[in-house]
Amino acid sequence: MHIEDHPVLGKQLQAPVKFYFNGQEYKAYKQQTVAAALIANGIKKFGLSRKLVQSRGLFCSRGRCCSCYMTVNGEDHVRTCMTRIDEGMIVSPNLEDPVIRSDRDGD
Amino acid sequence: MLDKTTIICRCEEISYEEIEEVIDQGARTFDDVKRLTRCGMGPCQAKICTNLVANIIHEQTGRPLHKIPLPRMRMPLSPIKLETLTTDSTSFSAVKSVLDEVELEDGKVR
Amino acid sequence: METEVLIIGGGPAGLTAAFEMASRGLEVTIIDESFSLGGQLCQQTQLIRALPSAYQPMAGFKLANKLTEQLKDFSVRYLLGHRVIGLYADGSIGVTDEKDVFPVKAKKILVATGAAENAISFPKWTLPGVITIGAAQTLVNRDFVMPGKEALIVGSSDFALDVAYQLMEVGVNIKGIIEKSAVVNARDKEKVNQVEKKGIPFYFNSYVKEAKGNGEVEAIDIQLQNGILTETVDLVCIDGSRSPILDSFYQLGCSFGYQEVLGGWIPQYNKHFQTDQKNVFLAGNAAGISNHAALLLTGMISGISICEELKVLNRDAFKELTLSYWRELENLENKDAWQARIRHIEKFSAPLLKDQFIS
Repeated sequence: MHIEDHPVLGKQLQAPVKFYFNGQEYKAYKQQTVAAALIANGIKKFGLSRKLVQSRGLFCSRGRCCSCYMTVNGEDHVRTCMTRIDEGMIVSPNLEDPVIRSDRDGD
Repeated sequence: MLDKTTIICRCEEISYEEIEEVIDQGARTFDDVKRLTRCGMGPCQAKICTNLVANIIHEQTGRPLHKIPLPRMRMPLSPIKLETLTTDSTSFSAVKSVLDEVELEDGKVR
Repeated sequence: METEVLIIGGGPAGLTAAFEMASRGLEVTIIDESFSLGGQLCQQTQLIRALPSAYQPMAGFKLANKLTEQLKDFSVRYLLGHRVIGLYADGSIGVTDEKDVFPVKAKKILVATGAAENAISFPKWTLPGVITIGAAQTLVNRDFVMPGKEALIVGSSDFALDVAYQLMEVGVNIKGIIEKSAVVNARDKEKVNQVEKKGIPFYFNSYVKEAKGNGEVEAIDIQLQNGILTETVDLVCIDGSRSPILDSFYQLGCSFGYQEVLGGWIPQYNKHFQTDQKNVFLAGNAAGISNHAALLLTGMISGISICEELKVLNRDAFKELTLSYWRELENLENKDAWQARIRHIEKFSAPLLKDQFIS
């Protein structure tokens, strides 16, 4: 849930933006991070761990733990706690390591 | 609290049990544990597990925390895209940490 | 890029140091990873009382504004959204703006990287919904987002109680505060009263036995002294104390000492907040975890030390100012932190960790 009227800081959420997670449209506000925008919409599970395939989400919110890695506008392993949401952003979960070798690239 | 399956390194998913085992085998520093288990070798580069591991070494061996040294903190200090690292900038000197890896000291590789 | 002084970290310590230097004519560059100046102050809505005499008590975010505002008449270069990633052999700092990497050459470097929250591990602490207490505060006061509806807090520091109260004010139901020792960790009794008045239970001599949930946290088993209590929650906030952020010092080749009260390993420094790498200075929580007064005063002391070295402050004035800032620090810092700081400084020439393999 967005805090539209903060008890101390008042009405700070002024500039709404649309973004997409798993193909569905959600609402956020411009100064929010991608991680915060997702949590505001009830989405806490951002991806899966590499070895034990367990759910991961925001943890430190300081760009340190990398638990909030997601794919943003096609770019893998983005620290969503350090990236601001933007109009039309396409966010998808971090489910596995990206493919870095392929037939196309001659590997 | 002492459930042995508890994850200590979130990135590489190394459990308390795995760390305890290498301490039994003689690991006494963070980097000892790292080399034996991959603990701290994931994307966060030990930013979250350093103190957890130091505390486990302390608990298991009685070694005081001030005798458990810091892990190496290598460049890049936080995750960076390869595309960014292969910068367009043209004026630099060599990267210090790379020189430290290869420089000779008393005729030997450090 | 070249600059006289590079400040790594635009939080309270970095900004205060910048004011000392920029107001005396030095060319200062501040680099910070986030989008705004003020560091962790930006999301602190609690009143901060322990401040140097030049500042009135005020909320953290207001202090951030004030510290930023007082720099506006001076030429300070801000590199926001930039990070330090390493060091070049010629001593210049490797900085990235996420598009490129470039070297910054500075006569003096002031590292004010602050502190990071320590984790507390328990079974399934990796589940989404288990976050640090600082992360919860950031969501509520910076991003204006409810982190959850029903929460438990693990740890009872002053900071945890501040955030517990702020969470309640936006409508989060705090189901309890779990403390492993027999007493509350916070020093400020007013904060304890504030939380107790709201009817939030403290569970002493207790810890999290296990987090439960399918894909995200749904319940917590609290190990009490006499049995297990299961609480349904969708948010767990971990308050694991803080430690200085040291990676920049490590790259710069600084030595380290250990003071438990100040957060464990900290760079070795003298009374001018100068490290054993003579062009590298430090301030704030990076020099040992302390209160807000110390963040600012250590910034002021290191700032004038650089001013003296770069000859924009004469020796007599420098000595007098150093003495008065130190006197204020002694008055305003908690006694145990102060004593640990003095012990640490006395060990300047005998660090526990030095000449480390930098790679």
